Amino acid sequence: MRKELYLGRKIYLVLIFSFLFSNTIFAQIDGEELYKTNCTACHVMTDKRLVGPGLKGVTDKYSKDWLKKWIINSQEFIASGDEKAIAIYEEYNKQIMPAFYFTDEEFDALFAYLENPPVEEIAEAVVASTEQVSTSNKYLPIIILLLILTISYILLILKNKLKSSLGEATESIPQTFYNQYKLFISNKTNLVFTGIIAFVVISNFAYSTMMGIGVYTQYQPEQPIAFSHELHSGINGVDCNYCHSSARHSKHSGIPSANVCMNCHTYINEGTDEEGTKEIAKIYEAVGFDPDSRTYIEGYTQKPIEWVRIHNLPDHAYFNHSQHVVAGQIECQECHGPIQEMEEVYQYSELTMGWCIECHRESEVKMEGNEYYAKLHEELKAKHGKEVFTVEEIGGLECAKCHY
Amino acid sequence: MINKLIAILFLSIIISACNNQSGYEYMPNMYRSPSLETYSTNTYFKDSINARLPVEGTIARNYLSTFYFDGDLEGYLQSGKFAKNPLEINEKNLKEGEALYGMFCAHCHGPEGNGGGSIGHPIYSNIPHYNDKKQIRRTGKTMSELKAGHIFHSITYGVNAMGPHSSQLSEDERWKLVMHVQKLQKLE
Repeated sequence: MRKELYLGRKIYLVLIFSFLFSNTIFAQIDGEELYKTNCTACHVMTDKRLVGPGLKGVTDKYSKDWLKKWIINSQEFIASGDEKAIAIYEEYNKQIMPAFYFTDEEFDALFAYLENPPVEEIAEAVVASTEQVSTSNKYLPIIILLLILTISYILLILKNKLKSSLGEATESIPQTFYNQYKLFISNKTNLVFTGIIAFVVISNFAYSTMMGIGVYTQYQPEQPIAFSHELHSGINGVDCNYCHSSARHSKHSGIPSANVCMNCHTYINEGTDEEGTKEIAKIYEAVGFDPDSRTYIEGYTQKPIEWVRIHNLPDHAYFNHSQHVVAGQIECQECHGPIQEMEEVYQYSELTMGWCIECHRESEVKMEGNEYYAKLHEELKAKHGKEVFTVEEIGGLECAKCHY
Repeated sequence: MINKLIAILFLSIIISACNNQSGYEYMPNMYRSPSLETYSTNTYFKDSINARLPVEGTIARNYLSTFYFDGDLEGYLQSGKFAKNPLEINEKNLKEGEALYGMFCAHCHGPEGNGGGSIGHPIYSNIPHYNDKKQIRRTGKTMSELKAGHIFHSITYGVNAMGPHSSQLSEDERWKLVMHVQKLQKLE
């Protein structure tokens, strides 16, 4: 009974509210839709310029009649000799705004929207916790060692105190250590065990050090610009090939030249936080771009962005990206790991010869529907009477394939 | 006794396994030879950049351009009138065009060419639809009526908030893309 009453009240409230807001909502949807489908390719709702000027307060700066004339056919309007129109045409490098034939009702809706744009919610910056877990891990062994030393020190003092209260001879702390040590080495089993431990530790250390020569797994140098693959590739979903476009054509996957950055960052000048904006400004510094006027500075000496190389094969090994990406149809991630989750890139694979060979032994060549292998596949099928071939079986282990 | 031995072996392996340092080089000349690599520094040039720009006007083999229109509005209108796709429209080219579209366009224009790509930035959030029949563009026509030459011109020189993509795509690749975009223009 109570529940019903409550529900009834809720519906009643909803009805009242929808009645109150219905008029304004319907008028706004129209204007907003017009704005979004027609204007946002070149304008934003702030005072920042995109392709054209920002539209904040545009209805205060110009009369509605003036705006109508401009929007319906700006070219004609400029030709008619209107001063304001010519001024804005000149200011924006003679970019032409296309003509929009809106009806009067549509204009009213659009202007109503432009006069009262929705207030954008300011996204709360997520404050990253400044606590660094990694540093506390680093000092952990030292802390444990100190703790053990303090405890043994206290125990030794206690022992001495007890001994002196019993009237026995006490010994200093170094003396205790020395006596214990003598006791320890007097036992042969102890010596053998210590010897074994020392041998295993040292040889394991030597082995892993030698196997690690020239291996840069986990290598993560600091780059000149804190470019985040996680943001660009993972969150924004930009394909690897967009920036590394030469991976399909050449030996190198290619570091994108700054003009590729500028395809988007001509217009995206601000990062998600202040740090991001600073990083974007580094591209502008390299190419000589003024983000306020959105123009390139004339006569600017451009500087290369000196990225630090992470993956480096020794000179005596040949590797070709296009061979693996186009003919082999391997995903980038198979060798480079989860790049789309890396805030800062590190070397994922070992890039040792053993690693290459293992993959060539195990992977099956994607020959089905692959134009590159069409002829070879037919011949191999006829010769061996099977469908699937590994890289090894088509000569992927021959020395001269990579060393010549 | 044997149990003790095994325990000690395990213990010592755990202790020594804490070593994760890497990057020693034995005979670094084998890794970093004096021959110049693509992105290495080259002290023979004043700016020490080894990746040089080709001499202006250089044409790479097999890259002779069939597209000779300027980047301005006039060139845009002209290319719409006169530029023809030199490639045959067949299944293979269309398939390659679709793959290229996924790499170079879909993150802004969306997989169907109606916006809604994965880039969430407000500036790239309202992208004109290829099949739009309402909004008049600089040609005096709508998006769905744009000709192959217009599309090729836009990819080559950029338009509005889209930058030029000629450095990332060869002309053949661009024409393949045009084929796919023309297919998307016809989507309802």
